[in-house]
Amino acid sequence: MSTPTEVPAGSDPGTETAAPPRRVLRGSRKAVARSANLDRVWLALLGFVLLAAGTLAALLGFGVFGTGRAARPLLDPLIVDALRAQQQLWRWVAIAAGVVLMVLGLWWAVRSLRPERRPDLLLEEDPDTQLLVTAGALAEAVADRAAALPGVGKARARMVGSSGTPALRLTVWVTDEADVAEVCRRLENEVVAEARRSLGLAHLPVAVRLELDSVTHAPRVA
Amino acid sequence: MRVLLRTLAPLLGLALAAVGVILVIEVVAAWVRPAGRGLVVPWPAWQAALSGLPWSARPVIVVSICVAVVGLLLLLIALLARRHDVALTAPTPEMTVATSPRVLARLVGRTVRESDDVAAATVSASARKIVVRAEGWPDAGGGFAGLTDTVRGRVSTLLDELPLARRPRVAVSTRGRKEPR
Repeated sequence: MSTPTEVPAGSDPGTETAAPPRRVLRGSRKAVARSANLDRVWLALLGFVLLAAGTLAALLGFGVFGTGRAARPLLDPLIVDALRAQQQLWRWVAIAAGVVLMVLGLWWAVRSLRPERRPDLLLEEDPDTQLLVTAGALAEAVADRAAALPGVGKARARMVGSSGTPALRLTVWVTDEADVAEVCRRLENEVVAEARRSLGLAHLPVAVRLELDSVTHAPRVA
Repeated sequence: MRVLLRTLAPLLGLALAAVGVILVIEVVAAWVRPAGRGLVVPWPAWQAALSGLPWSARPVIVVSICVAVVGLLLLLIALLARRHDVALTAPTPEMTVATSPRVLARLVGRTVRESDDVAAATVSASARKIVVRAEGWPDAGGGFAGLTDTVRGRVSTLLDELPLARRPRVAVSTRGRKEPR
């Protein structure tokens, strides 16, 4: 749930001239799509480790580091003896490594499978009552307003971000004859500004994704 | 590529977690029962096999190369799974506007094909470059300068109309059609 930045009484968020805070600007960029950066970093790390290990093992096998080393067994007796000399220590090291792998793996899997958050907007709250606008209701209202604009075939909206910094993701299918710049201007001035005004929000970062509305061909035979 | 990333990420996460769990179980089991044969994996048998297998053995080299190839593929997926959005200028700093290269290519293709001089066209687009391959009929002199100019002019007009944050370069290649116009 969000506790949005309230607009001071008497001011109009639609005509606000002060520059938005940096978190708002960042919010609109982050709202473009669900971030996959963490997945990419982990996958790259895992790929790099496998690539390095595989390459080194193959080079070792081909005798690049000496034919003597290539002839030694995979489980080198020297290493086995060293491990046995400090058996207690290496058991604890192995258990710790296993726990770390388990926690990291589960955290990665859960984070990847978790659905994207849709923060509700908490407008007012006192001990007895609270005024809450659900993410679905707000998204539906904005999508309906956006779809009614000239040059827009259909629109879909959803609230994204965290409860502290909610943002709006708007996907708009423009028609063939649409003036894209004009559609963007009207989205900001008529749809988003109205949403901010009616919700009493000073800032609401918005990410707009433009798609082409599918062309409907006239039937060949009447 | 992003679909592959989204599919692989939880699977690899679960695989890592499984490896961790098995490692803990086997170490604790071997600690409690030193003469055991392994609870989940037969590691004493593996230990015996690995003790007799040299690094230069063919199966070791094959497995090493396979591991390296899998690592390279994962690295490539991670690098290529970034977003390829085409940024557009937004009316306010609180708004970010983007579209996909596919949409830009469709817009360019539609504009180019509307010309009577163009019989067919294929377009590929990115935020940096638009490549148009147009088919048409040669000029009176046998060249395709007229067709190239037509295509380039139409694409340029479209790019002027679109509020792109960065104007992509345009490359046009032409090919003749044998059939009469």
